[in-house]
Amino acid sequence: MGKSINILTAVSAIMIFIGIYLIFAYAPMEQSMLEIQKVFYFHVSSAFTAFAAFGVNFVLCIMFLIKRKAIHDILAVASAEIGLLFCTAVLLSGPIWARVSWNTWWTWEPRLTTTLVMWLMYVGYFILRAILSGETRRTFSAVLGIFAGLNVPIVYHSVNIWQAASNMHPGTNTKYDMATPMKLTFWFVVLAFLSFYVLMLLLQYRMGKSNLQYETIRQRQLGEL
Amino acid sequence: MRIIIIIIFIGIFGLFLIAQIPVTLTSNEVDAAVSDAIAQVENAAEEAGEAKPQIDEDEVTKSVELVVEQLESKQKRRLKFLFAAYLVIWLAIMLYVLRLGRQQSKLEQRLSQLEQTEPTSQEEVE
Repeated sequence: MGKSINILTAVSAIMIFIGIYLIFAYAPMEQSMLEIQKVFYFHVSSAFTAFAAFGVNFVLCIMFLIKRKAIHDILAVASAEIGLLFCTAVLLSGPIWARVSWNTWWTWEPRLTTTLVMWLMYVGYFILRAILSGETRRTFSAVLGIFAGLNVPIVYHSVNIWQAASNMHPGTNTKYDMATPMKLTFWFVVLAFLSFYVLMLLLQYRMGKSNLQYETIRQRQLGEL
Repeated sequence: MRIIIIIIFIGIFGLFLIAQIPVTLTSNEVDAAVSDAIAQVENAAEEAGEAKPQIDEDEVTKSVELVVEQLESKQKRRLKFLFAAYLVIWLAIMLYVLRLGRQQSKLEQRLSQLEQTEPTSQEEVE
């Protein structure tokens, strides 16, 4: 595993560097928002990664409830944690972009509100895990993980579900007239972020396994005493 | 891993500073542009056989400088916010990875301590 982590670290680092170069040197300047539009590449990529991470958590929570394997719980927690990290990045970078583009830090429009709800649900997931212990913790958090995971498509489609006048985000069906260099840059940065996600998942998995090993030895020692 | 993250962080802001320096127009450049524009208007009028328009060059220069100043301050504001957005994302990721590294090393330390005490505790039981 150590070797694959090293390779993935190098790949992610190179991809992030190339991504940054593409954002600032290759992708053309958007004409209405100008420089601030460049937040888009990291902001939306963070959102994609958060969605992917929460999706993986959802699947692993179901798998844990079916198979009851500790590995699924370890990976589910790891994925939720990374998802929460990227969701936090989205919630922090979004208002900064909004302040310039929309002239407000925050507005209670559907996408922002549902994203905040999603973030709070995953914070709740970790609070629950901190309160409980043992098998109860794993089972209850898996159930909450499934509920929180069901919210992810709602966040994505919120702009279509609630077509409010206050809607600031573009709809998911909107056809963009984005220049090819912009599209290429965007998808490259998404890939870079996803590779970063996989890397962090592997690191978390390794740590989760060490933790499990620690707990096993400790319990064995306590049993022997 | 931690070192790579820090290098990426520094590299990103290095690239950022290189790529996003606002282009500031000097007063000489503004004067030259205004003179050129006035000359063009005068030539156009002359070619059309019209009377030469009366243009106050100082007045035009002041207006242009004001517009340029406003555009520059708007650009600086956009760049400040762009910088802040990237900083926030990278700080979040960097702090998380550093925390992850610290947790991992603590856990490894605890694990090795526990493995060392394991034979002792077995002896105690015997």
